[in-house]
Amino acid sequence: MGFSMQPYGIQSMLKEGYRHLSGLDEAVIKNIDACKELSTITRTSIGPNGMNKMVINHLDKLFVTNDAATIVNELEVQHPAAKILVLAAKAQQEEIGDGANLTISFAGELLQNAGELIRMGLHPSEIISGYTKGINKAVEFLEQLVEPGSENMDVRDKVQVISRMRAAVASKQFGQEDILCSLVADACIQVCPKNPANFNVDNVRVAKLVGGGLHNSAIVRGMVLKTDAVGSIKLMEKAKVAVFAGGVDTTATETKGTVLIHSAEQLENYAKTEEAKVEELIKAVAESGAKVIVSGGPVGEMALHFCERYKLMVLKISSKFELRRFCRTTGAVAHLKLSRPSPDDLGYVDSVSVEEIGGVTVTIARNEEGGNSISTVVLRGSTDSILDDLERAVDDGVNTYKAMCRDSRTVPGAAATEIELAQRLKEYANAETGLDKYAVSKFAESFEFVPKTLADNAGLNAMEIISSLYTGHGSGNTKLGIDLEEGVCKDASEMNVWDLYVTKVFALKYAADAACTVLRVDQIIMAKPAGGPRRDAAAAAAMDED
Amino acid sequence: MSLRVLNPNAEVLNKSAALHMNINAAKGLQDVLKTNLGPKGTIKMLVGGAGDIKLTKDGNTLLKEMQIQNPTAIMIARTAVAQDDISGDGTTSTVIFIGELMKQSERYIDEGMHPRVLVDGFEIAKRATLQFLEKFKTSAIMGNEPDKEILKMVARTTLRTKLYESLADQLTDIVVNSVLCIRKPEEPIDLFMVEIMHMRHKFDVDTRLVEGLVLDHGSRHPDMKRRAENCYILTCNVSLEYEKSEINAGFFYSNAEQREAMVAAERRSVDERVKKIIEMKNKVCAGTDNNFVVINQKGIDPPSLDLLAREGIIALRRAKRRNMERLVLACGGEAVNSVDDLTPDCLGWAGLVYEHVLGEEKYTFVEHVKNPHSCTILIKGPNDHTIAQIKDAVRDGLRSVKNTLEDECVVLGAGAFEVAARQYLINEVKKTVQGRAQLGVEAFADALLVVPKTLAENAGLDTQDVIIALKSEHDKGNVVGLNLVNGEAVDPQFAGIFDNYSVKRQLINSGPVIASQLLLVDEVIRAGRNMRKPT
Repeated sequence: MGFSMQPYGIQSMLKEGYRHLSGLDEAVIKNIDACKELSTITRTSIGPNGMNKMVINHLDKLFVTNDAATIVNELEVQHPAAKILVLAAKAQQEEIGDGANLTISFAGELLQNAGELIRMGLHPSEIISGYTKGINKAVEFLEQLVEPGSENMDVRDKVQVISRMRAAVASKQFGQEDILCSLVADACIQVCPKNPANFNVDNVRVAKLVGGGLHNSAIVRGMVLKTDAVGSIKLMEKAKVAVFAGGVDTTATETKGTVLIHSAEQLENYAKTEEAKVEELIKAVAESGAKVIVSGGPVGEMALHFCERYKLMVLKISSKFELRRFCRTTGAVAHLKLSRPSPDDLGYVDSVSVEEIGGVTVTIARNEEGGNSISTVVLRGSTDSILDDLERAVDDGVNTYKAMCRDSRTVPGAAATEIELAQRLKEYANAETGLDKYAVSKFAESFEFVPKTLADNAGLNAMEIISSLYTGHGSGNTKLGIDLEEGVCKDASEMNVWDLYVTKVFALKYAADAACTVLRVDQIIMAKPAGGPRRDAAAAAAMDED
Repeated sequence: MSLRVLNPNAEVLNKSAALHMNINAAKGLQDVLKTNLGPKGTIKMLVGGAGDIKLTKDGNTLLKEMQIQNPTAIMIARTAVAQDDISGDGTTSTVIFIGELMKQSERYIDEGMHPRVLVDGFEIAKRATLQFLEKFKTSAIMGNEPDKEILKMVARTTLRTKLYESLADQLTDIVVNSVLCIRKPEEPIDLFMVEIMHMRHKFDVDTRLVEGLVLDHGSRHPDMKRRAENCYILTCNVSLEYEKSEINAGFFYSNAEQREAMVAAERRSVDERVKKIIEMKNKVCAGTDNNFVVINQKGIDPPSLDLLAREGIIALRRAKRRNMERLVLACGGEAVNSVDDLTPDCLGWAGLVYEHVLGEEKYTFVEHVKNPHSCTILIKGPNDHTIAQIKDAVRDGLRSVKNTLEDECVVLGAGAFEVAARQYLINEVKKTVQGRAQLGVEAFADALLVVPKTLAENAGLDTQDVIIALKSEHDKGNVVGLNLVNGEAVDPQFAGIFDNYSVKRQLINSGPVIASQLLLVDEVIRAGRNMRKPT
């Protein structure tokens, strides 16, 4: 055996364990298949009547959700092409916080149609050029579809906010969107700063407490901490707050210190000076008018003793970020070390109280006034997974609020926009010459999957619905969408279903981008998978699917 | 073999077997990289051991990531990498040129030619081609005011082979402007002065040039300003955190008072340094709305940050060393290593400093600087592989612009040079060569055609038609290249397709050398244990 027997070609040149796929059949078609599989998984979760998925990840954690971002995140997709779709969905999730499912499903649909075109004999480069034309046109059309007047909205008007948020929340928690929307809208409006573009998602917190039901959920203006107060004082009202980031204790030197004691008297004296020092500090804090001390580090026993004596309530928040939020809520400036705070540095809370909700001791800091503070949505639900799912719905809602603060334009929801886009693009495709015309018209067709899936998921006859939608749109009713409850076509403005323009634009762009990237690849060179802890059977089963 | 002199595990290949192994390997590598060449080349997807994805069209990246094992292929790959180190482009061309040289030689060797004769021919042809290149190049004098159009054309030619068209065109301006920004007369261009920063955000077309600097970290104090206009910039390398002494020290104290004093003393030297900076700030900013920004290469600990924040100073810690250099070039002033002798002259100036938060990551933008000699290319993209792809392309684009500025000449692209050189070799050089070395020249000349051939193939055109059309145009005396859209001849000067002179020169220099070496191998011995696992 010698190298003369080595096979000819690339395979012989690579390290062992490498795989090399090339050409239309091996690379492109396989990639398309993989992406299709992935999108079939997520597709059934689209829309208000979408199904939930039960995903068990490699840590054996159970997720019951129809949020595509979570599903694909936990699936640990291995196939490189499918991974590109996952990355597109992640980008969408990070950028907008909603519409991940639309991204994946639309990209999957585009690729599936591309597969048909390839079988027809089109070259991928023609498909790419057609799809690029398609997406550019689609974005153009989408801009024309923007509901007139929607660009000026008052982000503090609850009704307007809810109308835009409803579709996003309803697709995650159908039937409960009214309760959730009003909670989320309230919370968001409360913390909305003067310039709405600076709205920070981080300012709306979610506290999940098992027990009760969604109806017991409430909004707290301020923060809910899942800890108890350190001392024995559990309630304080209309109090000034001093925040110490470094802990409430005696100061220590960085270098190791040794106490030099020669006699018993000195020992006694040392303890006394120590006490005096702490007392002096705590007294100074108390004299500054503060009633509540919040510590970012450990609270010394002795310090606590003096706090109790001076009737100071002590809270401990060990997370740096949580502490920062607390500072924002109260308007306090954090001091590093225990020292006398200046009056400007003190914050204010209306009330700080320790309460017990559903068996969990929580500390609630309320601050009724103050514009740019923090609000917390206290979610109640019977199980952890329901709470997790509710939280994701709230997150989506908050993200939608953020998106609408930046760009409040809306387009008709309930698949009305998609059908209109499909129709206009088809007209555009017919006017085109050249081979990419087929690609553009397939691009247009891909939009049909939205009404189709919405109808399918709701148990309606998809073909019937789509044809009646087309008829409606053909006669100029650009806002005709599906009413899933009654199973008929209705004007989206009547149903009050609106989607945010930005969400759509980004989702479509990311999807088209991902699809084109997958199509551009004609060779795959895969390294031998690195060794690592073996994944368990659940993850392996998930991998088999794609 | 009658007598085994080698270890029984060693593998020996001799004579034609060795030669064919080399030829096959070169051809194999050519096959892989062939589809990459030119603007119509396809993308390869590389999947790493951990499942990470990389998409590339760049020959160099591909060779680096592929982990080739075949010894011949490694030799070729190294030449290509050397090509990249020197000129930053032309790796794919190198590999396919070597492959084609081997392929052409194979034909003659099969007919009984001795490789040595071919090699002699290669040498003659190489020298002649280099001379021809000197005549063929278009000179572009880069005085104090370089011709931006030429630079743009060169950059566009390079970028279009790495990225899709619209993005490439956008990057062209960015790349050219950034190189012109850092260029100083009479000094070699240091491309490191262009910071390449990436953000996972929005789309690839949102990539832009920032005249100033983008740092990939933010201030670490919640109370510092997020946005400041008209800022003095202090660039320093001063530790503003408490450092433990080298010697093993300890404190002895006997009451809390003493201890408090110790705590204060311990920090005194750090606090004094901070105070000096604050004094400086008060001196330059007094009575105005101007702001003060400290960018420190060393650390700043929380108490110091706190002191600075109270004075309204924005402080960034642990900046990259290279960014310190860039900052000084961008904002002016100088980097100080001690705060003892601070003067207002040490300070730089920026019109706008702001922080951009992206999820967990923070970025600080220093913009609106006066007269910058350093700038940042801010790459954006929705995911890591897009960013990596743009990054590689930007790197090559920068190099191509730099090469043009240094070479002060360019070469017509789109295959025009290759066809012209081939015609020159066949029509003129070959006649002057005596004996069988003529065939070597012929093989070399035909091998040059691989570039236009591959370009045509990747664009889905008929290779033979294209070559014949190009050849006949050249015989008529027209210097033409290939139009990839319709397969017709086009004047590269008119279409704005220019290649780097240094890239071509390196390519013609290194290609034949490695091909000659491979051809002259007549025995391959792989000693010791069997490298290939038993199959």
